[in-house]
Amino acid sequence: MRHLSEDEMVELYYGEGAREADAHLKACRECSRKYTDFSRSLEEIRPAAVPHRSADYGDRVWETLRPRLIPYEKTASSRGWMQWRVAAMSVGCALLLAAVFFGGRYWERNKTKTADFKDHPQATQRVVVVVLSDHLDRTERLLVQLEHSESPDTAGNAQLQSEARELLASNRLYRVTASNTGDAALAGALDRLEGVLAEIANDPNLTAADLKRVRMDMNTKGILFEIRVLHARSQEQGTKGASI
Amino acid sequence: MQGNDHSVVRAVLVGDKEAYGALVRAHSAAVFRVAFRITGNEADAEEIVQEAFLRGYQRLESYERRSAFGTWIYRIAVNCALNRVSRPGIEAEYRHGEETDPEEKTVQVASRDADPERVLLSQEINAAQQTAMQRLTPTEKCAFVLRHLEDRSMSEIAEVLEIAPNAAKQAVFRAVQKLRRELAPLRGTA
Repeated sequence: MRHLSEDEMVELYYGEGAREADAHLKACRECSRKYTDFSRSLEEIRPAAVPHRSADYGDRVWETLRPRLIPYEKTASSRGWMQWRVAAMSVGCALLLAAVFFGGRYWERNKTKTADFKDHPQATQRVVVVVLSDHLDRTERLLVQLEHSESPDTAGNAQLQSEARELLASNRLYRVTASNTGDAALAGALDRLEGVLAEIANDPNLTAADLKRVRMDMNTKGILFEIRVLHARSQEQGTKGASI
Repeated sequence: MQGNDHSVVRAVLVGDKEAYGALVRAHSAAVFRVAFRITGNEADAEEIVQEAFLRGYQRLESYERRSAFGTWIYRIAVNCALNRVSRPGIEAEYRHGEETDPEEKTVQVASRDADPERVLLSQEINAAQQTAMQRLTPTEKCAFVLRHLEDRSMSEIAEVLEIAPNAAKQAVFRAVQKLRRELAPLRGTA
């Protein structure tokens, strides 16, 4: 019988546990005893009393804030008129662009027969693969740097942190896309990677000890391995695409 | 209240700056509470309230009416607080404050028992809890505060902190693990 892990107990405590875990807790005396001890320890962590704010606190905040605010100048009617003007100009621009585009296509088709981009979806896919491959390449380098970062040099850590911040934003986009397209392996790896990037990016004073803790707590070696496999896979897809 | 907030936002966007005051009055206490719980510092929490409402005003055009204004401004405040505790040197300042001004740590509600020994013990436990909280990383601390003290779901935490749901969950797990480990010696005396 597999007993409940601490993470499962955390989920149960906050009412987000799996049904199986709940059933196990009811059936297993040992886990039930551990869980009682666990919940008692969390109940002891009480919130610090929030300093009392008087009833006019909101008024005071507003009085301080008010001089700093610049009123929105648009009135309802001018806003509506502006919206119409913007919409009309957008439609005009779109029509002009469409005319130029289709005119150009027509002219080109008559002049010479060229390969149609639409007939080659691989070309689009190749661009996506190259961009993803670049992201994986950067994250792989960051993880390698993290694995070997032992020096107490904060300047080096700051560089690592700024790289993590840049990668965090793009990683989120790739993860959501991978998740939407049903690529579970990629989405899972990027999800775990995001945790590591967030830890490094948000640490106020990134020291060698912090990096060591991140390496140990989040199994960065395992993530590095996953990223390498995915990177190799995306490179392979890129090569296949190029040869088509 | 939500419908009312939406009409106030509309009024502000067509030039009625004063209308924003109603939103500030209605939500400043909740914003102060979460800011204080994350920073653990009254002055910082006050500043975060100002900053959150100022940012909220400046970004009001991007406010989507699908969510309540209270939730929206709450998210901005959590982000301001996270930025504040992530700033280098801030954590050290808090620790320094704790060392030089022990009164600061006695903001907890003491036991109703008038027994001085119990009061002292309760204060010690509270101080240890605060120190343990300060040792968490900013993401862990925010995630824990939102889950444990603010009773937010994991998906809400992920949304507020702009991280993946699994990363939010892991941050809460690590925070719980660290806090239990740090506070284990006190459990016998409590």
